[in-house]
Amino acid sequence: MQASARHQRHRLATIVGLLPLIIFLALLLYVGLNAPNFLTVVNLKLVLTQSLTVVLSVIGLSAVVMAGGDDVVSGGIDLSIPATAVLCAGIVAVMTSAGQPVILAAGAALVASMLVGVVNAVLITRLRMAPLLATLAMFVAVVGITNVITERKRLNLNADSIAALRGDIVPGIPLGILLVAILSLLAWFFLHRSKWGLNLQAAGGSRDAAEISGIRVDRLVAQSYLLAAFMGFVTGFFMLARANGYSPGAQDNLMLEMVLATFLGAAFSPRRIVTVWGAILGAVLVAAISIGLKTIGVNVFWTDLIKGALIVIVVALSAISQRVQ
Amino acid sequence: MTEAAFQLSGIVQTFPGVRALDGADLTIYPGEVHGLVGENGAGKSTIIKVLAGVYQPDEGRIEVGGSSVSPATPEKIRDAGIRFIHQELHLVPHFTVAESVFMGQEISGPFGLSKRKMRSRAEAFMRDELGTELPGNRLIRDLGPAERKLVQVARALVDGAAKVVVFDEPTAPLASEDVRTIMTAIARLKSRGIAILYVSHYLNEIIDICDRVTVFRQGKNVAVFDEVTKNTGSELVSAMIGRALDNFFPTTDRQPGEVSLRLAGYDDGKTFSDVHLDVRRGEIFGIAGLIGSGRDELIDALYGLRKSQGTLTLDGATLDTKTAAKAVANGMVLVPRDRRHDGLVLPMTVTENATLATLDENASFGLIDRKKARSATERLIKDLDIRPANALAVTRFLSGGNQQKVVLARWLAKSARIFIFDEPTVGVDVGAKAEIYQLIENLASQGAIIVMSSSDPVELVGTCDRVAVMMRGEVRTIIDKPDLNVDHLVAVTTGATTVSETAYAS
Repeated sequence: MQASARHQRHRLATIVGLLPLIIFLALLLYVGLNAPNFLTVVNLKLVLTQSLTVVLSVIGLSAVVMAGGDDVVSGGIDLSIPATAVLCAGIVAVMTSAGQPVILAAGAALVASMLVGVVNAVLITRLRMAPLLATLAMFVAVVGITNVITERKRLNLNADSIAALRGDIVPGIPLGILLVAILSLLAWFFLHRSKWGLNLQAAGGSRDAAEISGIRVDRLVAQSYLLAAFMGFVTGFFMLARANGYSPGAQDNLMLEMVLATFLGAAFSPRRIVTVWGAILGAVLVAAISIGLKTIGVNVFWTDLIKGALIVIVVALSAISQRVQ
Repeated sequence: MTEAAFQLSGIVQTFPGVRALDGADLTIYPGEVHGLVGENGAGKSTIIKVLAGVYQPDEGRIEVGGSSVSPATPEKIRDAGIRFIHQELHLVPHFTVAESVFMGQEISGPFGLSKRKMRSRAEAFMRDELGTELPGNRLIRDLGPAERKLVQVARALVDGAAKVVVFDEPTAPLASEDVRTIMTAIARLKSRGIAILYVSHYLNEIIDICDRVTVFRQGKNVAVFDEVTKNTGSELVSAMIGRALDNFFPTTDRQPGEVSLRLAGYDDGKTFSDVHLDVRRGEIFGIAGLIGSGRDELIDALYGLRKSQGTLTLDGATLDTKTAAKAVANGMVLVPRDRRHDGLVLPMTVTENATLATLDENASFGLIDRKKARSATERLIKDLDIRPANALAVTRFLSGGNQQKVVLARWLAKSARIFIFDEPTVGVDVGAKAEIYQLIENLASQGAIIVMSSSDPVELVGTCDRVAVMMRGEVRTIIDKPDLNVDHLVAVTTGATTVSETAYAS
């Protein structure tokens, strides 16, 4: 009797876990029916291009969530990734406009980004701050620094090598998409097919179990924040390429979509946990919804409301699904 | 005699103010299942931590396989082939069996993790060494508690280098039928020549599977049984209990009245089932039971802190205690086991804590009448002899016994009818203990209904009129006052005496 009760609960949890996905697909279907041109190859390429920055940041965020656990309040989360991205974009834009070589600008941006990661790691693993609060504070602080550096002005891109991310490498496939695909594969391998990745998941799944098995949890958690900062750094270049320069304010939308995509992605995994490929698929879906809503002419302010509501639904349902189990 | 698998001799371990181990010896031979028993606080977990290299003892020798290990560190002990199966499961719910077994010792090839190899090795180990078929791709969260325990065992032993395995209360969270699975696995390990140290409160299991038993009491080994038979049970019990009934229990000629509080069909579908109890007015009714017996959970359910089925009636009328707020409103109050977290708001003063449940009576138009609250508290401080006698003292700085009195003061202010005491004297010094027992006795004399859940058999025997003994989620028996003595209570609680014998006991 107990076993069947467990089975029933399990089934309920499965259904609740799949709900966000179902809601999303329904929304997508609605958009598709109302915008006849939506489901075409040209549009798919647009969606993918649009999703690149989100894909890169969710790779970082999913590593952090894996290492810190997926509890929404006390688990691992890094809200500062989008801020790191704009910091990187800002530094590169300012330095290249001033005539510095791209490589030097990139080096400076890398140092700054990794510094953000180190501060995050120290706040969370040494001072034991709640990741949600620590990285929210870092988000605000880093955006502040970026505004100081860029004077909150739009800066046009002055580097062809970064703009090349937009161009096709072979006819039909832009270099950016190819690079992100390769990075995604690498991330999948290291997070899901390597010993390091499995230990990372063990750390997030049960801190005690991991420690008893001789896994150095704090070190892994710190590494996950460094990886997240690095992904923020990479994201910065794709931001520059997409907007053809630095434009202030890009971090807000990215944060929203990054969080939404990562937790939505858990619905793709049979175990209902945050995975890299789930988060990447989630990022593509989120981009599709954004473009779709724009195509059928939904006011851009309403789009934010819809995305915010979707985050609440996705996170609430994942919490319910965990409680049912 | 063959060489010992490990030998601890003359171990002394002191903590500030406590001599936890006082010259303790423990010797285990290869291929034997060795039981380690003792009351709470006898030093069982301390000596295991000494063996594990977690504590560095002040005195004594640790020998493994004939050679001295000094100082013992967790790494050296592990390398010497000693493995520990902790009481807590510590598993990742969304990992597969294979991933859990190889956690921290993953097999990986040039192309990343060898998931297939880990799976087949894990399955083979479970089948050959532990005697259970468990698919390596099942998720931990879909397993039952016994299977989870076996996964934990496999994780400790899969490298094949284990010579000694220490099981710490492996069956505490299990139902009776699941215990058999664990016993089979232990028998298999034994047949491979692995020495097993089996720590448990369940004396029936100790008698069933152990070849030898060491009994700990007050930080020392007080007896070693080289032969274990069905009759060893009562000898184990008397070796374990060194304490006489202390004379600080209140004497009383109080006679309980009619049955007043009835619990019928209490069942939470998981940790306890089919609990029926009748408690009299003016009676102190005890509940005994080991960890995992469902005792804690039953108390929580009674007070509306845990979802459960069952009906509670007071003098024939249904009593709604589905939430703690309703329980309090209906005159049932709880003095919780963890007073620091659940009983008190530590940063608040004695007055604030004592009047927390009676704010309405001490307030007019939603504003607290501080003067009134203060004088009410001062009266309680005097009645209960709370020290320091300062209504504005912050409760965090009070001693354990005085903190407990503040919790009690809150409910006395509330004039409740039913009092549930859960481990009322844990962390309370002897003098304050006697006072708390007297307060409980006074409440009962005034006709209150008292339910007292405790892991201390001496306390239950000293204060209670009747004691219900829970085991693996069921009430096994109820011991009446004439049969209530510490030996018998411990024997029944630990399963050393089966319930059928109870009728003829004493």
